[in-house]
Amino acid sequence: MEYVAYTLAVFVVVTAVATALLRDVLAAIVIFGAYSLGMALLYTLLLAPDVGLTEAVIGAGVTTLLLLLTIAKTVRPSGDRTIERIDPRALFACGALAVVFGLTLPGLPAVGDPNAPIVSYDAVTGHYLTQSYAETGVENTVTAVLAAYRGFDTFGEATVVFAAGVAALVVLRREVLT
Amino acid sequence: MSAVRVVAPFVLTFGLFVTFHGADSPGGGFQGGALVGVVVLMLAFAFGIDPTRRWLGSWIVTVVAALGLVVFAAIGFGSVALGGGFLQYVRYPLDHPTKLGIEAVEIGGIALIVAGVIVGLFFLTAAGPGGEES
Repeated sequence: MEYVAYTLAVFVVVTAVATALLRDVLAAIVIFGAYSLGMALLYTLLLAPDVGLTEAVIGAGVTTLLLLLTIAKTVRPSGDRTIERIDPRALFACGALAVVFGLTLPGLPAVGDPNAPIVSYDAVTGHYLTQSYAETGVENTVTAVLAAYRGFDTFGEATVVFAAGVAALVVLRREVLT
Repeated sequence: MSAVRVVAPFVLTFGLFVTFHGADSPGGGFQGGALVGVVVLMLAFAFGIDPTRRWLGSWIVTVVAALGLVVFAAIGFGSVALGGGFLQYVRYPLDHPTKLGIEAVEIGGIALIVAGVIVGLFFLTAAGPGGEES
């Protein structure tokens, strides 16, 4: 199990770097789809199937299709280089960010650790995990949190999604979403 | 084309399952609505974007997305009208009001919004700016 997770983590990092470096946009989009698929599998392996499902549908599916549609309307860069020229400043910024994030890793609890602060010290999480079925009657705690305990936040998110669609209409000066 | 013909019914069924069974298994309105929307995207890639758009009708997508927001808001403010707080499901005089309320919001609200906006964004991206025509 651990080896699968480590293999997926390496796969995700390699595809992410390839997406950034490849000069051909079409190749970058295809590899970005593979990256999303790797992330979806990783989320599922880490017992977050709701997030994994979202990543698979939105990240690997919809985003890839929208990006493909977009580049169908553009031209490919000419030239025979396959790898983008690396800007030293951008490389430094990315490397520094990776180091800062990497430094926090030893501070994280192990996956599934029952003594992790989010489980042992946080009364809210414990309440959701133990009481959500009795209080809401749904078995998926994630759904209970999203639609009941944090229903107002979800209403805001749904409004944002709708507003994004309307904003696209306004920007493209069209009357209806089709 | 034939691959989509075979796969699309299963994706649609899976999307509806994820939507309607999201309260008791992984998934919910967001993931299920996205899956149902992706079925239209698949059909458009296989059978052409313009024929799919004509087949679907021009107003449907906008109406579906707007209807989702109206349903969600109606359920939320309905409990306010019954003397409770926003989305306080227990105010509804039903058996298992919270479970039914959650499923109504997931299926009738979030799923419709997400499916409508995904399909709409796809068709909008395909069509490009339309200011000159109108």
